[in-house]
Amino acid sequence: MLPPELIVLISIAAPALVGAAWLYRGSRTLSAGFIGVIAGGIGGALFMVPLNYCTFEADRTSTDVAFGVFLIALGAVIGIAVGAGVNRIVGSGKGISSLTSEQNTAGTFKGTVIPFALLAPTLVILALFLYAPALDNLRLSTLLARLGTDRTAFVCVDNFTKLLEPRQNYGQTLYATFLISFFTVIIGLAISLMIAYVAYQPVRGASIYRTLLIWPYAISPPVAGIIFGMVFNEGAGIMNHLIRSGGGVPVQWLQSASIAPWTIIAASVWKSMGFNILFYIAGLQNVPKDLIEAAAIDGANFVVRFRRVIIPMLSPITFFLIITNITYAFFETYGTIDFLTRGGPAGATSTMIYRIVDNGLNQRDLGSAAAQSLILFSLVIIITLIQFRTSGRRVTYGR
Amino acid sequence: MSRRSMLLAALTVIMALVALAPAMAQDKIQIPVWIAFTDSRLDWSRERAAEFNELFPQYEVTIEGYADYESIFAAASLAFEQGTQPAIVQYFEAATQDARDAGFEGNPQFKSVAEAFGDRTEVNGLPVNFDDFVDAARNYYTLDGSFTSFPWNTSSAIMFSNKTMLEAAGVEGIPATWAEVDAACEKIMAMENAPANCITWPNHGWFFEQAVAMQGADLVNNGNGREARATETFINSDAAVAYVSWWKDLQDKGYYIYTGAQRDWGGTYNAFVAGQVAMLLYSSSDTTALTNDGAAAGFDVVASFYPHNQDVEYAGNLIGGASLWLSNDLSTEVEDGALTFLLYFTNTENAASWHQFTGYVPITKSAIALLESEGWYEENPNSLVASDQLAAAIPSSATAGAIVGAFPAIRNHVTNAIEQVLVNGRDVTEALTEAKELADETLAEYNLLYAGE
Amino acid sequence: MAELSRQIGTVAPHDRTTSLTGPPSWKRFVPERWYAHVILWIACLLIGFPLLYAALVSTQNNAQVANFVLSPGSSFAENFQQVMVNRYLGEYMLNTISLAVVITIGKTILSLLSGLAFVYFRFPGKWIVFGFVLATLMMPTEILIIGLYRYVSGTLGWGGTFQALAVPFLASATGTFLFRQHFSNLPAELSEAAQMDGANPLQFLWRVLIPMSWNTIGALAVIQFVYSWNMYLWPQLIMQGGDFQVVQVGLRTLLAVDTSIAYGPLMLGAVIASIPPVIVFIILQKQFMSGFQITTDK
Repeated sequence: MLPPELIVLISIAAPALVGAAWLYRGSRTLSAGFIGVIAGGIGGALFMVPLNYCTFEADRTSTDVAFGVFLIALGAVIGIAVGAGVNRIVGSGKGISSLTSEQNTAGTFKGTVIPFALLAPTLVILALFLYAPALDNLRLSTLLARLGTDRTAFVCVDNFTKLLEPRQNYGQTLYATFLISFFTVIIGLAISLMIAYVAYQPVRGASIYRTLLIWPYAISPPVAGIIFGMVFNEGAGIMNHLIRSGGGVPVQWLQSASIAPWTIIAASVWKSMGFNILFYIAGLQNVPKDLIEAAAIDGANFVVRFRRVIIPMLSPITFFLIITNITYAFFETYGTIDFLTRGGPAGATSTMIYRIVDNGLNQRDLGSAAAQSLILFSLVIIITLIQFRTSGRRVTYGR
Repeated sequence: MSRRSMLLAALTVIMALVALAPAMAQDKIQIPVWIAFTDSRLDWSRERAAEFNELFPQYEVTIEGYADYESIFAAASLAFEQGTQPAIVQYFEAATQDARDAGFEGNPQFKSVAEAFGDRTEVNGLPVNFDDFVDAARNYYTLDGSFTSFPWNTSSAIMFSNKTMLEAAGVEGIPATWAEVDAACEKIMAMENAPANCITWPNHGWFFEQAVAMQGADLVNNGNGREARATETFINSDAAVAYVSWWKDLQDKGYYIYTGAQRDWGGTYNAFVAGQVAMLLYSSSDTTALTNDGAAAGFDVVASFYPHNQDVEYAGNLIGGASLWLSNDLSTEVEDGALTFLLYFTNTENAASWHQFTGYVPITKSAIALLESEGWYEENPNSLVASDQLAAAIPSSATAGAIVGAFPAIRNHVTNAIEQVLVNGRDVTEALTEAKELADETLAEYNLLYAGE
Repeated sequence: MAELSRQIGTVAPHDRTTSLTGPPSWKRFVPERWYAHVILWIACLLIGFPLLYAALVSTQNNAQVANFVLSPGSSFAENFQQVMVNRYLGEYMLNTISLAVVITIGKTILSLLSGLAFVYFRFPGKWIVFGFVLATLMMPTEILIIGLYRYVSGTLGWGGTFQALAVPFLASATGTFLFRQHFSNLPAELSEAAQMDGANPLQFLWRVLIPMSWNTIGALAVIQFVYSWNMYLWPQLIMQGGDFQVVQVGLRTLLAVDTSIAYGPLMLGAVIASIPPVIVFIILQKQFMSGFQITTDK
């Protein structure tokens, strides 16, 4: 192993060089290069200083070392990205002031104390109940900590690297999460669009139909789990009763590791459908009728019309629904799973959020739960960034 | 604007609600009690609490129910952290070591009941007599020479058979060994109107521990954790592998049905009552209900010992169930009230009634005497099985039961491994060995934090 | 929470970019009426089926459930007694209503205030503050649940209390951005006129903005009411031994009501627990949609 001083030096110098090169390449100014050096250097140390470079200690496994390198790289990327942002603002000529004020807008009130007073409750609550827990979570993920005692021990990145061991079955957890999320979103949106396409047309009693279609939005995920648990109950449920009356073999809806995720998906689709239908109906009403008409005059049949006109016109809404549905599938399904399968059988429906709670509460392993939280957190950040990148121009966070 | 005044009115009401909610006047001494039942056992307990509150008007015992042992264990730990712990909480036997270790620096979560009673012979006029408890419970809950928690619902794992179905299949007697269960199942499944499957039981660590103990094997080292703090588990012992292999074999033959979830008490119970299986391994805690539900469904239910491995000498079973733990930081008056309630709750009449109502073994000798004098056992032979089975145990570290930290988490590793075998067809030895490694790791972490080892 | 705030950014501007032209020539594109009715009927039935079945089971005892009796059973009164009285679901419902109302009103007020600050004020560090709020979109409570639990329970010592359920949810980026979006779509002349009249910001909010924001308030109210009514994970963790358990967690105690799973009471609990949010949602569905400025009402 390299001497510790050298590791520290490399972990800071390498990102600093990369940062300098990256930013200099973009704007060809010395100041950009300078910002790059600072940003890269800080980024390289971002995770390693709090961890005290523990992943590179002599008795660490190669997995830990690799994870340490990954953390340095991740920190560097974050640092350089922030540096690039700062550089853009500095380089745009407006200077730092553009960070702190905005251009004159008609109709603004005067005063700086008042807006902060108005914002204070919101900011305090967000700081206390979102930011502070996030930081604590970060710290907790490096500790061996169990429920029921206040004694802890520093374990470096063990809580993360442990998840890589095959016997922890974390791969299965990821698989269950993606399986359930993917199909909840896809199936949910497809069915909702089809129903919405019929329901948005001006038939008699449209508003009654609409109400009867969208109410599951207000149903809670636990209740969805309870009700689907009844419908799909192996012995006493109506589904198997129908199958048996039809002469079929009863299906192990909740007992089979290959079927249970689909039962969860069914319950989740049902629960989220109201929301999707609602937004698709609204979106369809916004599709200009002359477009459909034009397509019809061109002789396009229904399928073609649907594909060429309806779907493209709905893409902003579809995109928005995909994001909200992914979030729903990631988090809200917890209640459904807790009542339907409790993560079973054999972990087949143990999604990331379910496992976090199970490991933290039932296994009492708070450190591991915190580490898994951070992994889920980074997934959500990635999804959000994708959203911002692909739809960023259309999103009006500005005026 | 009317809308605005409505808004204001609504706000005022809300604020008043919020302000008033916690300020409800309480002049009686409050004794909150948590138990791990939400079924009719909760109603039974609340009836006893109501009687107690009438007898001792200075106290108000309130009983809150939790869905199962696992969730009350988690809930009480959280509540302890939150400073909202009840005076008395019911913990299952597996939580014993965790309960003794739990606490923040210098502030343990629970107080030994023996210490709380001291050398008093009565509290509020109710006699204190530890010698009256039946031996199995006394032995299990006596740690370091005294009672740490107060025994209440003690059970054993026994077998329930649909006698009507067994007779229809031509099975003579009740199977007592694994091989006899196999043979009986073969006959039952060969019947013309055979049930969907032959046998089921919950995938709960407790059934595994019973089977291991019955073969005379310890679950953990250091005399099953009773000589010194356990540091290693024996989850992949020969006894364990033999048991899970038998289990898997039953499933492969279509005899055993896995209900798909771990610790699925409700699903297995319902399968037996609905006649979907002929035999059920279950806790004696539901003897009365199972017997009655079977009769209501038109078949005879016969209780018998948990089947044992015919290739190994029978070593006997261990207890299950739970005991009542006393919170540490109670004021004297609350603690006295809690102790009074413990004594009342388990007095002779209540212990006998609790047994009749459920199937938990009568916890005191005086309750057994009362039941015998009433002729209860002659009319209800099923109710005697659990007591007999516990009495048949040959005293040893194996049948005393394991005391080990992080036991609930270790049980989880065991049931996960069994699920891997049953659901995913994994090799028994491989799955149990992996579970042993994981359990040892969990135990090492536990010991590091709690015992500084 | 986070999920809904995203839509505000993505969807709200949508209706401004589309324009409806001319009277729609409906007849040519509508499927045969009977055809649409049949499809809609089937869809409504399929969506309603699980709840209808649950409602049916809620009147039955286990024997009736197991025999698939398709008419209302004989145990409704008994089940009702079990659920609402013996298992305190009635009390849990009342608790949950006051919780949902407090969160809904509190969040609406705080969101109005912060929306006001973001749209009608210039102040140093505005974009930093904005970024601070914006970033919380990526932090659903569920992700930080372990940290949040330790903080609220340990540091604040709020375990088992009403404020532990309510206070963390009184502010959110969702509400802030909803009103920010709404206010910035209002004409600037409004605030100019208000300033000329010498109104202070709160008077402006009270007299001008709120009367113009009922749809948005209604939308936020329905989102928040449903959200807080359906809270499950957080109360499951933080509400230990308090006197204020909420209905979703209370449903757990129905899993075993008799000697084992009693389907009737469990289904009855599920159905009853769903009535308030469904009613609120149905009543406010117009506001819900128009709050997102997505319907075509012009």
